[in-house]
Amino acid sequence: MDLEQELYQALTRKDPPPGFADRVAAREHNRHGGLPTRWLAFAASVVLLMGAGAAWRQHQGEVAKDQVMTAMKITAVKLNRIQTHVREIRQ
Amino acid sequence: MKKLALLLAAAGLLAAQQFKLNLDHLATKASNAVDLSLAGPTLRLAARFLDTSDPDEAKVKKLLNGLEGIYIRHFTFKRDGEWTQSDAEGVRVQLKAPEWSRVVGYKSTEEGENADIYIRTQNDKISGVAILYTGAREFTVVNISGAIDLDSLADLSGHLGLPKLEQLPGKPIRKLD
Amino acid sequence: MTAIGQVEQTGFDFAELVRTHQSMVFSLIYHFLHDRETADEIAQDVFLALHRNLASIESAGHAVFWLRRVAVQRAIDETRRRRRRPVVALDAIREPAARDRGAADPLLAEVLRRLIATLPEAPRSVMILRYQEDLDPSEIARLLEIPVGTVKSHLQRSLALLREKLERRGIGEI
Repeated sequence: MDLEQELYQALTRKDPPPGFADRVAAREHNRHGGLPTRWLAFAASVVLLMGAGAAWRQHQGEVAKDQVMTAMKITAVKLNRIQTHVREIRQ
Repeated sequence: MKKLALLLAAAGLLAAQQFKLNLDHLATKASNAVDLSLAGPTLRLAARFLDTSDPDEAKVKKLLNGLEGIYIRHFTFKRDGEWTQSDAEGVRVQLKAPEWSRVVGYKSTEEGENADIYIRTQNDKISGVAILYTGAREFTVVNISGAIDLDSLADLSGHLGLPKLEQLPGKPIRKLD
Repeated sequence: MTAIGQVEQTGFDFAELVRTHQSMVFSLIYHFLHDRETADEIAQDVFLALHRNLASIESAGHAVFWLRRVAVQRAIDETRRRRRRPVVALDAIREPAARDRGAADPLLAEVLRRLIATLPEAPRSVMILRYQEDLDPSEIARLLEIPVGTVKSHLQRSLALLREKLERRGIGEI
């Protein structure tokens, strides 16, 4: 028996339970309160153009959030790399 | 007057927690550059917009609690040799201040990598974390100031989605070496 | 140069990405956890995360790389939440009958899947990426952000461990 060949067979990709794509679509739809994403982007830009204080704060908040998430992603990747290397050395 | 003095003192302290970096010349050579200076008000604003029902955002929101600033300079390059040791020394010299101590690091000649994590302490409490990471085509400085929960920071490692990729994976080869 | 805050328009059809890659993502998580229901849920989470990050996806190849990476991460997260490894009851599985060389043995396949699911997280990830996705060690190293040497070590040790466990139970000759 060729173990590697058996592993290729055993770990062949399998389909998820039927209706997977529909379940993803439903969750994505519900996450945005029922509105298609492109309409949300359009609505955000209209509100921004109107220049209301609350809308501007909303925009600033979203930008701040994106910046923080980017910062955390960079930090996380670097930490992961260092931790992995240190673990390797200790082994 | 007293309030103004306190504000100025706080601003001075915050400025002291930021590194004085002279890395703008790297930005002109980089294929991708990230320059983030996120002070307290920005972090507090961001925290209000993080969705706690999202596992990644909930982790980040927890981490933001107590932070005073996040400063990132991240450069990736298309070629080796775009940054120099003096660029790295310019960062390291600031981490030689007594309040900073290096806690872990490694150097891999094979992979052209050098990485160090530093901790800043004040009154026996952690008040900052810095990471200096250099690779053949990358130069990254991370400076996080404030009351950091190290466990939450370590837990963040490897758990967020990927940042923007600089290179795409090559074609798979079936056989092992 | 990348500016923070700019949203890039992509030509990606999200629904098409789901259809194209659902088996890959589901299988990565299923083979990791050996739990079909949980794998279904987590696979959905992975695609929802892709949707949120779609603006940062540069190409079809990037999307595949991203999905593989996040699927493995989320599977590891789930394992840590459960803080358990599946117990493999191999004595409940009877020895396979003699069969044609080269034909797939469903019992052996199931034994192998269960054994893979009992490996520690790092070698488990490596083995699944190698034998499900047919990635070479350098690609696995890049995906998991670990050294290539570590990947090869995990592969060699895991194969040796699997051989030993199978031989001890008299399952096939390897």
